[in-house]
Amino acid sequence: MPFDISSLTTNDNHQSLKNSVVRALPTIIVPFKQIVDIKEIKVDPNTQTPITVGIPRKISDVDKNALEEAIKIKEKHGGKVIAITMGPSEAKTALRETLAMGVDEAYLLSDPIFENSDTLATARVLAKAIEKLGEYDLIICGEMTLDGLSAQVGPRLAELLDIPQITYVRKVTIEGNKIIAEKDLEEEYETVEAEMPVLLTVTREINEPRIPSLRDIMKASRKPINTWTASDLGISKENVGTEGSAVQILKVTVPKVERKGIIVKAETIEEAAEELVKTILKEGVLRG
Amino acid sequence: MDFSFTEEQELFRQAVREWCEKNLSLEKVREMDEKEEMPMDVIKGMADLGLLLMTVPEEHGGTGSDWVTACIAAEELAYADISIAVPVFFLVESSWGYVIDRYCSEEVREKYIKKAIRGEAFVGIATTEPGGGSDIASVKTTAKKEGDEWVINGEKIYISGTEEAKKMGGGYFIIARTDPKLGHRGMTAFFLPIDAPGVEITKRYDDMGRMGISTGGFVMNDVRLSDEYVLGEVNKGFYYTMEGFDLARLLIGATSVGATQRALEIGMDYTKQRILFGRPLAKFEGIQFEMADLWARNEALRSLVYRTAWMVNEKYSTGRFGPLEVSKFISAVKLLGPPLAFRTFEKAMIWLGAYGYTRECPLEMGLRGIMSYCVGAEGGLNIQRIIIARELLGREYVPYK
Repeated sequence: MPFDISSLTTNDNHQSLKNSVVRALPTIIVPFKQIVDIKEIKVDPNTQTPITVGIPRKISDVDKNALEEAIKIKEKHGGKVIAITMGPSEAKTALRETLAMGVDEAYLLSDPIFENSDTLATARVLAKAIEKLGEYDLIICGEMTLDGLSAQVGPRLAELLDIPQITYVRKVTIEGNKIIAEKDLEEEYETVEAEMPVLLTVTREINEPRIPSLRDIMKASRKPINTWTASDLGISKENVGTEGSAVQILKVTVPKVERKGIIVKAETIEEAAEELVKTILKEGVLRG
Repeated sequence: MDFSFTEEQELFRQAVREWCEKNLSLEKVREMDEKEEMPMDVIKGMADLGLLLMTVPEEHGGTGSDWVTACIAAEELAYADISIAVPVFFLVESSWGYVIDRYCSEEVREKYIKKAIRGEAFVGIATTEPGGGSDIASVKTTAKKEGDEWVINGEKIYISGTEEAKKMGGGYFIIARTDPKLGHRGMTAFFLPIDAPGVEITKRYDDMGRMGISTGGFVMNDVRLSDEYVLGEVNKGFYYTMEGFDLARLLIGATSVGATQRALEIGMDYTKQRILFGRPLAKFEGIQFEMADLWARNEALRSLVYRTAWMVNEKYSTGRFGPLEVSKFISAVKLLGPPLAFRTFEKAMIWLGAYGYTRECPLEMGLRGIMSYCVGAEGGLNIQRIIIARELLGREYVPYK
């Protein structure tokens, strides 16, 4: 059975919101991912594969920017921030961290059938959870997670929810029911606006994520973490995991960087420089 | 037997580490070492994180952390600031601040403890006198009751944080003779505000290490304090002093673990990259074996530190361990910690060769800093041996009266 998108919009959630006056207190949802700390990854010298077993896990860096932005908006405009993540039960620690940062509600989406989901299947799980959460005004994602670097989950999620999306946002302001965002297009910035509800993916430059204080951590330990399984979300096996994924990862290896060890021999410095430039051009490092 | 930290403690360690990476880089530590000053933003940052006097109960303005969590903070701060200036600031306040809060009046709590928690005052310990430090029972400072006031006279030397106290306000846990006939049972603890009339800071010592926090001395000439400044009960000061020393020594153990770990990592990183005789230095067994020994010793110390921290928690919460039993273990922590860190800095400097001997390399700051705890800050190493032997053999074997 194909994934039933229509089930996401049966109550035409976003449309009803669009047509209504924006709620004074916005609800912001932040889907994030707990990843292995890539700084700690070692490479098996024989197989050139990364060793990820026993590596500490953390909230993906740019996802922390998304959480920070959501919390900042809440601090300015009121409302609440809901953090959701798909992962094993160990991801509860990451959810606890989001609560310490200032998130109000935390949801773990966890089920063995979610394992090995690609960006499409992941977006499906997140979309179902967001639908179950009810009304919302903003969804903020990191531009990409630092393990996969695909930058697809946010945009796919917006498509599944059928709401506007603004990607690579480096600055955001809220005016009434409007989001005004500055997009980073590398060479230039583009300012765009959209009516809420809207999904944003943010870049690292948007803010400096806060470090929770001991007091915040202690308070967070008293807040609940909710867990939703596939059956809670009404998701069946064929839409998630390996079966529901469009992309199968066959192998992950570390690119081998080998130096060519070219030595330029010449009588004079001028000849050496000329020979060096020729070599660089020949190797395709520079275009002539 | 479960050796794992709680989720809360793991998140706290991660938060402290992240803060240190951003605010206490080795470059910043070098800057503190050269300027001989701890920037206020570091102190405020620690306050914002909830590190300052973190063990003070929540109802008194602290976070009511347990001692395992306090050890985590000490370990992480020392991993970052190997000169140990920041760890000294942290541990002096955490241990003595806790004891001051435990026995102080509401007035002292409001005026000093709560401010220190916010990073707006410094609280520390001042017991050492020109006549000696480790021998607390022979303190010469006196406190005489005159009407409603106590009149205090004496001198304290080699005191951590005098410049910080002068700059930020605050004061010290001091001990004075109130009934000379009773020996150590005739000593009373007071909170001495650094700006009390009659207190005069005499000097700042030119220390060899931990330059970011000052060491100084002060005299007390007819300093008049009301009963509000007596800590706990009159003539019980000796015992409160021992309690404070125990807590400080525990945190020194955690500081040693963090500093040792960093020295090892600096050594490992360098010797993996440095090529000598056609292979990385780290491939030589002479270096590997030293690293392995130091790592093993540090892991043994780490286990002892956290086990002892757990005993301290039990002492305060359930009374499962008595103070003397806990002191025995704490003395073992203080006996083993600083010399291990010193040894590791020394070895790592040798692995790094000529570079290790320069100020471009951070290791020498570590060697200079941790030496203060080998020399005797918070109690000399032989004092720890005497305490351990006293508990092993019995009080009748104590080599002094």
